[in-house]
Amino acid sequence: MRSVELIHQRMLIVILVIVMVCLFVVSLFIGSNPLPVIQAARESLLDTPTVIGLIFGEIRLPRALIALFTGATLGLCGAAMQGLLRNPLASPGLIGSSSGAALGAVSMLYFGFGVVMPLAVPLGGVAGALLATFMVYLMAGREGGTLTLILAGVAINALALALISLLLNLAPSPYAVREIVLWMMGSIANHSMTDLWTLLPGVLLGWLMLFGTGRSLDALTLGAETASTMGISLSRLRWRIFLAVALSVGSAVAITGSIGFIGLVVPHLLRPLVGFQPSRLLLTSALGGASLLLAADISTRLFPAGTDIKVGVLTSLVGAPFFLYLIIKSRRYQL
Amino acid sequence: MKKTLLTFLLLLIVYPVVWGSDKPARIVSINLCTDQLLLLLADPGQITSVSFLALEPTSSYMARQAAQYPVNYAKAEELIDLQPDLILAGAYTDRALILLLRKLGYRVETFPLSSSIDDIRDNIRLMAKLIDRESEGEMLVSEMNRRLEKISRAHPKRKPRGAFYQPNGYTGGRGTLQHSALELAGWKNIADEEGVVGYGAIDLERLIRSQPEQLFTSSYAPGTQSRGQQLLKHPVLRQITQGREPVEIDYKYWICGGPMIADAVEILHRSLPQ
Repeated sequence: MRSVELIHQRMLIVILVIVMVCLFVVSLFIGSNPLPVIQAARESLLDTPTVIGLIFGEIRLPRALIALFTGATLGLCGAAMQGLLRNPLASPGLIGSSSGAALGAVSMLYFGFGVVMPLAVPLGGVAGALLATFMVYLMAGREGGTLTLILAGVAINALALALISLLLNLAPSPYAVREIVLWMMGSIANHSMTDLWTLLPGVLLGWLMLFGTGRSLDALTLGAETASTMGISLSRLRWRIFLAVALSVGSAVAITGSIGFIGLVVPHLLRPLVGFQPSRLLLTSALGGASLLLAADISTRLFPAGTDIKVGVLTSLVGAPFFLYLIIKSRRYQL
Repeated sequence: MKKTLLTFLLLLIVYPVVWGSDKPARIVSINLCTDQLLLLLADPGQITSVSFLALEPTSSYMARQAAQYPVNYAKAEELIDLQPDLILAGAYTDRALILLLRKLGYRVETFPLSSSIDDIRDNIRLMAKLIDRESEGEMLVSEMNRRLEKISRAHPKRKPRGAFYQPNGYTGGRGTLQHSALELAGWKNIADEEGVVGYGAIDLERLIRSQPEQLFTSSYAPGTQSRGQQLLKHPVLRQITQGREPVEIDYKYWICGGPMIADAVEILHRSLPQ
């Protein structure tokens, strides 16, 4: 029985990896003009890349990679937070980490700190995410129910959004105000390799910190007390996850803006497939999140050129009905 | 008696010149673009007030000259206080304000936007006529023509290809002053080749694909930070133009149509590859 489960588990991971790789490759093929992608990829490695080499290496590749890393981050962090708070509705978008990160990034970028020190923008994102997450946690309390957590998240999200629009209105750049949508909805268009290098350190560090938490999260499903008798320090685990989420979500959102619902939807879809075990959910949610964001980003490019649909619009269009479904389902349980 | 008669006769001679010619003497401009033409053409004594935007050095070419006049914020009450005999507005100035001023008996003249050099000439002549400075208007037009012709004689045989690339990926295609200026300076406008009409966004991939030799940018508030402005620092832009930085040209040359377009054409011409 156990080995069958393990095989299922391996199969699931293999399938998810294949889906993700396929979507990644498809993403490289889609742009405003058809491109001989394989030739372009080869030419992008030349010392003086050709035009198609440049389009591949400097425009399409960073876009696909940023979608991959951001999606994986959101999926993974959603799974970790749902495990930690033992709450199916916890996710970076709902409990304020994303909007806090966006606020932190906005306060750095538009007031010129990013020019003095390029890392100031992702660091602002990390600080914002940490602060927002921690505030929601304080408001909801240690053993806060779903409702309290969501309400606290709503309040912090609203506050962060209000502050973002205030800052963008006060920013010296005349282009700032129009970019509210970008921060609220998220966009991965027109990014460069530089953006990817800015995003990567925090994201990878956060991932490393999260992947070791699986065993503790599994123990936590038995209850906080049982977990502590098993030698797991809940407060240390909590800080580790909060910090890891802040690092990875903060760095990613500082580049892409807050992209909604991936962290909520992906762990939910995959949970039944991994036997409801948080440790197994981490890797699969990361793979699933990457696939979902890649797919959403591919869809934005299928609209007629020049429409510039933000990727967050699509993830929210999928995610919001799903959120409603979760609410209805949980109400049925209570009745 | 003799003295009175003399005064009377003198008045008869002078009157048609001073009062009879209907020369506006208290002109108020409430639009940045009418500010520019008014400051270029009017006798300083004719100008009563210019719009507050005229003081903004990044968008107002005549900011220095504007500084000596009181500014207005295009509010009906303050305009009435100024007792204007001619109010100058743009085509897109608040319709309700213009209707109100006209209803109150003020003379309000509106100026269309310029999207070509011909539009600029028309607007200069229109302004000159309205404020009774027609010879100054002709001088301004012929001076602009002379400068533009001088550059068009120095065009290179092969026109290099360039484009404007603005924050958020905007460019100027056919029917914009930026397009006219590029062509007059001896460049081939890529945005036009790509079928952009007016000011519109151009996809980054499409821009790179069309292989510009030089990019130009002209933005409000240089030195400020936003995502839209960061796009201009995308490394691919420098790589496609062999490491050449985009040439920054002040916005004040074309935010309003006027003879200052010749300055922009001269800058664009100087940036042609040698």
